[in-house]
Amino acid sequence: MRALCWNGVNDLRVERVPDPTLLGPHDAIIKVKLSSVCGSDLHLIDGYVPTMKPGDVIGHEFLGEVVEKGPEVLRLNRGDRVITVSIIGCGKCWHCQHEEYSLCDNSNPQPAYEEAAYGHCTAGIFGYSHAFGGYAGSHAEYIRVPFADTNCFRVPEGVSDEKAVFVSDAVPTGYMAADMGGIKKGDIVAVWGCGGVGQMAIRSAYLMGAERVIGIDRYPYRLEAAQMKAGAEPLDYTRVDVFDALLAMTGGRGPDVCIDAVGMEADGYDTGIEYWYDRTKQAIGLENDRPAVLRQMIECCRKGGTLSIVGVYGGFIDKFPMGAAMNKALTFRMGQQHGQRYVKRLFEHIEKGELDPSYLLTHKWSLDDGPRGYRMFKEKIDDCMRVVFTP
Amino acid sequence: MTQATVTEARSGTAHSGTTERWIAIMGGTALGLAGLRRGSWALAALGGGLFLAGAAGVPIAEPVARRVREGNLGLGDFGDAAERLPGVAGLLPTAQREPTTTQANVTVAAPPDKLFRHWRNFRNLTELFPHLDAVEVLSDTESRWKAHGPGGVEVVWHSALDKVRENELITWHTLDGAQLPHRGSVMFKPAPGDRGTEVRLTLVYQPPAGAGGRAVSRLFGMAPEQQAREALRRLKRIVEAGELPTIKGQPRGNRGMREVME
Ligand SMILES: NC(=O)c1ccc[n+]([C@@H]2O[C@H](COP(=O)([O-])OP(=O)(O)OC[C@H]3O[C@@H](n4cnc5c(N)ncnc54)[C@H](O)[C@@H]3O)[C@@H](O)[C@H]2O)c1
Ligand SMILES: [Zn+2]
Ligand SMILES: [Zn+2]
Repeated sequence: MRALCWNGVNDLRVERVPDPTLLGPHDAIIKVKLSSVCGSDLHLIDGYVPTMKPGDVIGHEFLGEVVEKGPEVLRLNRGDRVITVSIIGCGKCWHCQHEEYSLCDNSNPQPAYEEAAYGHCTAGIFGYSHAFGGYAGSHAEYIRVPFADTNCFRVPEGVSDEKAVFVSDAVPTGYMAADMGGIKKGDIVAVWGCGGVGQMAIRSAYLMGAERVIGIDRYPYRLEAAQMKAGAEPLDYTRVDVFDALLAMTGGRGPDVCIDAVGMEADGYDTGIEYWYDRTKQAIGLENDRPAVLRQMIECCRKGGTLSIVGVYGGFIDKFPMGAAMNKALTFRMGQQHGQRYVKRLFEHIEKGELDPSYLLTHKWSLDDGPRGYRMFKEKIDDCMRVVFTP
Repeated sequence: MTQATVTEARSGTAHSGTTERWIAIMGGTALGLAGLRRGSWALAALGGGLFLAGAAGVPIAEPVARRVREGNLGLGDFGDAAERLPGVAGLLPTAQREPTTTQANVTVAAPPDKLFRHWRNFRNLTELFPHLDAVEVLSDTESRWKAHGPGGVEVVWHSALDKVRENELITWHTLDGAQLPHRGSVMFKPAPGDRGTEVRLTLVYQPPAGAGGRAVSRLFGMAPEQQAREALRRLKRIVEAGELPTIKGQPRGNRGMREVME
């Protein structure tokens, strides 16, 4: 089959690889119909996740059809149209039983990396480096899904492929970001980053009762989508001082909930010296992540407010304003998405017309155009929100 | 002898210490990124290799580890350690050489009796220790163990059960003539709340003269501490998830056979 493989920093190639086979009794093979790019892939492509190996198949947000299943897959049948959550749960460990699927004890076959770097290992993720299990990803004609009963979900009849595919990753991640914010009536929520994840966080914050939601980014087309499709008040951080603007918009209080939907590769525009400090340290490997957004959120957040972090970080950050965080009594919530917890609820929102993620799909391309698609997505050109490949 | 010394003895012989490990990871990442940025695959590979060494706990600075060991260790009686490790108490010999104590802990989402039964059925142990080929039960207390080393060299030893406390504890020791004399215990203790069972595996090796943990590694291709930890991980995965997740045999790109389609 054809698959999109990582071969080095900024080096993606479409290659011919063997078809996947069932390796465990709980596995299923999915014939991939749609497979989306995600901001997380950029961290791999740019070389900020250290355990990629040449030949790794990437991609983790996908929809397809069950074509084969192991003897212990009981809930699924051949021919089912399913989405698969990007992060793999075993369904049986204490964390999975408590709906913390991304903390699964058992799904990562290569736990040594994370145990050494983080103290414990977390769940395996499709196409997301060997530290996270080394599972082959979905930018391919077929993909093997472990623990399929836990990780695959049938798409309801009336929901189109284009709406459903993002329930794999962008939608549950944005939804969980809002959920972790613990939004209460009257709360004003600020969302940094208006990519697929940020867009879904904005919409979800409204679904959870936010009074107003502010979306922050620099790309006019993304800010426009945040405003027109998700209902946010847009803020271009290259044109205003974010702190001043947020305080002006919240009667001087600051947002009650601040959501990070940007992560380790934050751009810094109004923070020139700080940005280059982090950019340089990151380039020479002394700092893994650029925490411009985190620092800004701590500064802007209302006293006693909540920071909800779904933008991905991998290693260490510098100059973390702990004093501000502590004295302002902020709450920090964070994590990789526990998608399995939310899928049912998300399809209900979609069926009721309260949520329509299909506008994230701005480009539907052949898998053969994978490298070109990622370049467009990375450089944010041609008004690209997400490219979805059809293998 | 203090607990701290025991810990040092363990980390000194069984795997590289925490500091060393962090240096390997940080150095590995930094070198890897610098290498990639300069487009040098050789340098990137070196960085990646260091990261691997760090992540896997491979001793990269053996002389450092040895210094720590020699600086701190006399001929301890390990009395304190024995007290802290129920099941091993009183089993430790008055050592001429220092025994190596290795311990691993895991919490499994299953009741103690289920885990006890799984372990008590020695046939299941070959799944937990990959170098172990067969366990033959000879009598109520004695069994014969057959394993292979890295070069496929066959190793056979006899082992006797000491204590068996239903759903709680199993202890054993090797009989005369074992190439790698050791004592072991596995304990099952209900975890608080709904967390299942805490399992603790303790192995006390009497390493062959002067050879230390590396002889053990040579015999089984893995440091004893890593063996213990991996064994408990396998136990947990088999009992909880019903399989050992793997990526062996999945498709991947091959730079040599590639078909660039752009
Ligand atoms: N936690 C999870 O499970 C999970 C799942 C999916 C994605 N993610 C992470 O979420 C993040 C966003 O993903 P995405 O797919 O939307 O990515 P994306 O690249 O499409 O969007 C990121 C957006 O952040 C904006 N941005 C950059 N610097 C900024 C700054 N200083 N202030 C405000 N905005 C800034 C960019 O302009 C861009 O529009 C990534 O870090 C990704 O790894 C996490
Ligand atoms: Zn993602
Ligand atoms: Zn699990």
